[in-house]
Amino acid sequence: MTAEPRFLAIRSERAFNAIVVGIVALGFLTLVGVGAYGISVMRENIIFTRWVAHTYEVKGAISDFLINDERTETARRGYLLSHDTVFSDSVATTSARAGRTLLTIQQLTIDSPVQQANVARMRALVAQQQQAIQVSMAFARGGYSDTSNFYHDAGVDATRQIRALAEQMSEQENNKLRVRESGEQATVDRLIVVAAISSLLLIFLAIGSVWVILRYTRQLNTSQRELATLNAGLEDQVATRTADLRRANDEIQRFAYIVSHDLRSPLVNVMGFTSELEAAAKPLTTLLERAEAEAPQIVTPEAASAVRSDLPESIGFIRTSTQKMDRLINAILQLSRQGRRVLTPEPLEMNRVLQTVTDNLAHRSSELGAQITVEPGLPMVVSDRLALEQIFSNLVENALKYLQPGRPGRVEIGGRRQGVRVVYEVKDNGRGIDPKDHDRVFDLFRRAGTQDQPGEGIGLAHVRALAYRLGGTVTCQSALDQGATFRVSLPARLNAEGPVS
Amino acid sequence: MSEQRHVTIVMIEDDEGHARLIERNIRRAGISNEIRHFSDGASALHYLENDHSGPALNGPALVLLDLNLPDMSGIDILSRVKSNERLKRTPVVVLTTTDDKVEIQRCYDLGCNVYITKPVNYESFADAIRQLGLFLSVIQVPEVEGNG
Repeated sequence: MTAEPRFLAIRSERAFNAIVVGIVALGFLTLVGVGAYGISVMRENIIFTRWVAHTYEVKGAISDFLINDERTETARRGYLLSHDTVFSDSVATTSARAGRTLLTIQQLTIDSPVQQANVARMRALVAQQQQAIQVSMAFARGGYSDTSNFYHDAGVDATRQIRALAEQMSEQENNKLRVRESGEQATVDRLIVVAAISSLLLIFLAIGSVWVILRYTRQLNTSQRELATLNAGLEDQVATRTADLRRANDEIQRFAYIVSHDLRSPLVNVMGFTSELEAAAKPLTTLLERAEAEAPQIVTPEAASAVRSDLPESIGFIRTSTQKMDRLINAILQLSRQGRRVLTPEPLEMNRVLQTVTDNLAHRSSELGAQITVEPGLPMVVSDRLALEQIFSNLVENALKYLQPGRPGRVEIGGRRQGVRVVYEVKDNGRGIDPKDHDRVFDLFRRAGTQDQPGEGIGLAHVRALAYRLGGTVTCQSALDQGATFRVSLPARLNAEGPVS
Repeated sequence: MSEQRHVTIVMIEDDEGHARLIERNIRRAGISNEIRHFSDGASALHYLENDHSGPALNGPALVLLDLNLPDMSGIDILSRVKSNERLKRTPVVVLTTTDDKVEIQRCYDLGCNVYITKPVNYESFADAIRQLGLFLSVIQVPEVEGNG
């Protein structure tokens, strides 16, 4: 699979996953909505149920009232027939009970104007009936002489009307009951629908979730496998790159070596024949002196100045240039030789290594009045001793070389461990390096700042080449007149390498 | 000293300038032996192995050899000379710019008699050649076997 379609596949897969997750999330949201709706329907249902119960209560009260009323009527008749006081007592209690019940009905149906009106009518009818009862009973006791009322007893009629009205009221409540019960039924139906929808949704969601989880798990497994493969590939790649790098490095080293050698050959000629020229100038000078003494007229000023000043001056320039070139070639040669040396890693007590370095430079530093301090307890490192000695020797030497005049020199060497690496610092209070030159100072034959010190611009190039070889880096932190800090970061453990061919 | 006169110095050096400087300094050291100069390996080998006046067939010789030659490596010439029955006792002085330790060891392993690195500094160079001249004036070169 090439990178491009693979990338597209990953992208479409991602989009698909997003859609699936979106659908599942939407499902859950709907479920929550349905649940909320279900709760509201349930609440409605509870209200309906309460109202139904209320209606039954009213109905119960109405029938209670009616029973008591009927009992009153029955008790009256009993009294009228038997004149037993038991019946008269019964009339009193049942009518009182009926009255209380009617009051209850009035209170219960406070929300219904129709029933309120009915209750009012009922109360009138009950009053009528009561009066008829009082009259008839008084008559029966003999307290009443007027029998007309007895024979035109309004009680019976009232009772009949009461019965009819109670029936009407009950019917009224029945109507309400029908409405409320159908409402209750509707909420129940709705609840069933909601429950059914929720169940279906739940089933779908469960299926969806399981599917998504399975899919993710499968993808996860696949990517894990791919990752493992990639990891293995990566290690191979790193090994290949390292080999490539090493080969390139070897090639550069060989190139530098050959170039420096082949440059040397013509240089031998230039220097050799310059010396021959110089030697040839001697007899010419003698000749000129003799000519001036014996035949001054043949000596031209041009000839005299050619022999006396032009020739020696030219030879001098050729000589200094070739000497400089020789130094440069030697520097390249030295670098290439350093690159060809096989590194031998060994555990190094850095304080001891740096002690050697500073001891070697002690004479220089005391001459300059500078002080070199090495922080005690520097972290250990497994690396190449010679290379490290060279690195720190060059860095400290540099620090001593570029001190700020008029400021007593101080060079501090410190270090710390950073994970699998160790970092050492060489810090001075010298003249510093302009930040724009920080990269340049590490280049071969390049220098920075005032050119008042001898040197070819080799030291730091050498340091960097060595640091690279040790698998490390070297960086510079400085500003003009602020001193400079050179930081060497190295792997705490350098792996032994095969000899460079 | 008269015997030394017959020893031919075979100089195998591709750089004309070097050859001239070497010759001048040898002469300045007072050595007047014949100097045969070859600037490539093939003609030098031909002279050494097949030429009638060459060391294989006639007269003793001493070889001054540069390792960097245009057509072959001086190491090849050295091993050819040292593996040749008639030439193997001929002293070979390797005179080259290379100061690589491995290279030097290889030359001695192959039977090189003296290895001199050409110094870039001319005074040292001239000095080295003059001393080589002194050395040549006292060195005993074996006669070629089977030669009258």
